[in-house]
Amino acid sequence: MAVLRPFDKLPALNSAVLLLVSSDEGLQQKLAEAILREKKNFKINIHLATSLPLPSERDHLRPRIDMIVFMIDIKSKYSLKNVEASLAYVDASFFLGKVCFLVTGVGRVNCCSIEMNAIWKLGEIYSSPVLFCELEMEGIRVATAQRLLRMLQICAGHIPGVSALSFGSLMRSSAND
Amino acid sequence: MQRRQTPKQPLQVHRKKQTDLSAWRKGGRIDPEKSVQNHQSPNNQKNDSKQDSLEQALSYFEKVQDRVSLKKNNVLQKHLTTVESIALQRGLPPEGFDVLLNVALSGKLSDTVNTRLLKSLIPASVIPETSVVSSVSWLCVSKCSSNIQLLFLRWLITVFDFIDHKERLHALYGFFFSFLQDEKMCPYVCHLLYLLTRKENVKPFRIRRLLDLQAKMGMQSHLQALLSLYKLFCPELVTITLPGKTKTYFKDSEGPWKATINTVRQRKQENSLVSQPLFLGTAQPQSRKRKWNTQLIIPASSTNKNNLEEDREKQRVDFYGTNESFPVEQLQTFSQLLQNIHHLEFPSQMGSVLTNPLLLHYMNCIKDESIYLRLYYWMGQTLQEECTWYVADNKQYEEFKDFLETVYKAECFLQEGFSSCEEFLYKSLPLWDGFCCRSQILRLVSWIPLSSFSEMKSHLYDPLAQLFFTSSLYFKCSVLESLKELLQNWLNWHIIHLDSESDSQAHSLNTTLSGLVNVVAELIDFVGWISTVALRLENNPTFLLYFILDFYETVCDMYLRYNLPLLIMPPAGVFYPALLSMDSVSLNQLCYIMYRYRTNLVAAKENELSKKKILQFKFSSQTYQEYNQYIIAMVGCLWTSSAFQKDIHPQGLCMDDELLKKTTVQEFKTSFNIVYHPAMMGYAVLFLQQAWPDDTTFNFSLIKGKKWNWYLEYLYAQGLKGLKVFIESSINRVSQASHSKAGNMQA
Repeated sequence: MAVLRPFDKLPALNSAVLLLVSSDEGLQQKLAEAILREKKNFKINIHLATSLPLPSERDHLRPRIDMIVFMIDIKSKYSLKNVEASLAYVDASFFLGKVCFLVTGVGRVNCCSIEMNAIWKLGEIYSSPVLFCELEMEGIRVATAQRLLRMLQICAGHIPGVSALSFGSLMRSSAND
Repeated sequence: MQRRQTPKQPLQVHRKKQTDLSAWRKGGRIDPEKSVQNHQSPNNQKNDSKQDSLEQALSYFEKVQDRVSLKKNNVLQKHLTTVESIALQRGLPPEGFDVLLNVALSGKLSDTVNTRLLKSLIPASVIPETSVVSSVSWLCVSKCSSNIQLLFLRWLITVFDFIDHKERLHALYGFFFSFLQDEKMCPYVCHLLYLLTRKENVKPFRIRRLLDLQAKMGMQSHLQALLSLYKLFCPELVTITLPGKTKTYFKDSEGPWKATINTVRQRKQENSLVSQPLFLGTAQPQSRKRKWNTQLIIPASSTNKNNLEEDREKQRVDFYGTNESFPVEQLQTFSQLLQNIHHLEFPSQMGSVLTNPLLLHYMNCIKDESIYLRLYYWMGQTLQEECTWYVADNKQYEEFKDFLETVYKAECFLQEGFSSCEEFLYKSLPLWDGFCCRSQILRLVSWIPLSSFSEMKSHLYDPLAQLFFTSSLYFKCSVLESLKELLQNWLNWHIIHLDSESDSQAHSLNTTLSGLVNVVAELIDFVGWISTVALRLENNPTFLLYFILDFYETVCDMYLRYNLPLLIMPPAGVFYPALLSMDSVSLNQLCYIMYRYRTNLVAAKENELSKKKILQFKFSSQTYQEYNQYIIAMVGCLWTSSAFQKDIHPQGLCMDDELLKKTTVQEFKTSFNIVYHPAMMGYAVLFLQQAWPDDTTFNFSLIKGKKWNWYLEYLYAQGLKGLKVFIESSINRVSQASHSKAGNMQA
């Protein structure tokens, strides 16, 4: 039952590690593939998990994780519950800009089963940005992959002068106050 | 009122041409006999088996007498399935509605059958008004159950736009009004009345009745909707105060039909070989494919075009002197608009004005609030329903995109934003992925009307900023572009209203100058902030810088060009990257902007000093101070080579000599003047090559004295006009070169 920490391992040179947590493995796979297809000048590692905690037996093999993306399907209450349960296994310092919630299925807002307010609130409580998309459409999947990649680059410290914390506060200062 | 024995009508699925419209033109109303005849052209006799079976089914339903049980009667079952399957596939022809509505509402058959019949009433093209009128008469004798009545009303609301014309339906206004008593029907009747109401329908007794109902049933959104419409038409009659903005007045009454109608429409589109383009310029035959202009279709019947012309001539003569309104279908030229402007009436489906420039002209000139209300109501509803951005169905996505495009074009035409569109943006921007309909959405953003900052912040700026920071360089540039247009639209609005200050329009919130100044200042501050962040995130690309400086080209001229007492300097995070940019385009642009700031500030100062009129607003001394700091840095950089000593901006270039020496750069002082500046060095090299063709050492120090002036002339000739106006205005060249000082203003 290990809690995930952002700084307990050393970073690898010129690489970034993304952890995707989602109860819908099909979509998760598709998104990961889209991210890997993007052009980039660094090595990218994507770890997939349906929920947290991650199994502790392979912990020593796992690299340092730079950013966690929690996927929430707007049509399934379970996915929200799953994410809420998983959040308990994330160290607080991760929420200094290294976590993001990705809400999928927005194209069908009319038949969603999750209260939008619940999602806004989640983002607020964990002071992490909430992104919206519809992964089933190719174009949006690519655009979303690009957005996540930009955030990952910042979280992994590849953009000079911009840290995860400062970027997180930028995203927040636009949302709160 | 009931037309019980309709003659057996031969059925043809007629082509897309809507022949009975021309019949209506001739006689002013439909002659059913005639329209039937019109359909009987020999070419149309291509009946396939399906049509036969539909014909059989209809004639069966026409004759069916007493209660026939569905379970026991195979014939009924067969015909019912035929009707259902054909309706689902390609919709029913206009002639079918009469028969089926009659049977469904007469109560002859069981409710299950009636429901199934009503549910399959999908129009292939139009629904004849006569059949609707006769079914309303069935409603009045109430032979059918209340469930069927409700279903019929919901159907009527859904297909309202498909009814070919509505004159006689309007005549039944009173009947519909009387149905308000029924508690169950009330919401739907309200919705229907909302669609039907014209000014002449608003009567004191009706208002009393509505108020009574409201007292009885409490505040109901549907009653409020109708009352607010009445109030708009006759404010003197409705004195109660109604709550301002209500998002949705009516529950979704579309029922089971909407989706089917869409599929039928799409299938038809696929089948039609020639896709008709959407004409925006002229009132030519409008494309039938979109439902928002179904009402305005003028059939492209080339055969009887001449007849039409004649009719039109005749009719024009007829209409003179009468009180009757000129049918918008015939409005084709601007001169027609001018001739008939006193008796035009808007089409019953307001959406059709979007694609008709003549009607947009008319709308613009009569300034009737109720017209806007009708348009907004329709548009809000459509945007909400059609907002299926992400559905994998490409066709629908394209259609929605086209629709947004049409709305945008209408906004440009009217030079005014639609509030229903604003609402849609506010609702959807927080959920937007930044990809779907990107250019359409961003263009619509540029027409958001002025409103209070708190609203703008949470609905527009916040979601936009989140998208902006995470999205690509190109997205960032398009956001900046549309925010620039937003600013320009506001400023244009301001200058127009400055001219016509006397007529106080209903633009409540920001009519005061201080309100406008605040909102504009907040927009500029917002853009300054996101620009600073974007330049840092993207590492100062020239492309991005161009869009940012383009925005400030509007900002720096607000006082003189738009008569707005406001000037805001760009933040240091924009100014310094532009000053030290590697590209002469950015530097030239910055020089031009600083020149315009100077011109505006000088003009403001002069106005202030001469005190011709007492100014309500003065620029704060901070603006002058900021300008002076920037100009000192700029002149120090480009001209006097003293930027590192003289720059007094807290975020500026001022650096200690000791520190600079440690960089081991020789002659660091001159490294940003117009010869050595990285953006200018290319020019300097070319100049040297021309002035001293034999010298290959690139001795930049040769450019001084007279040569310095030559070099300047050379730069101006290369098209650096911004640099020219900047140097000519801001640099005092009397004492020549090194001693020149910034032409500061006495702030």
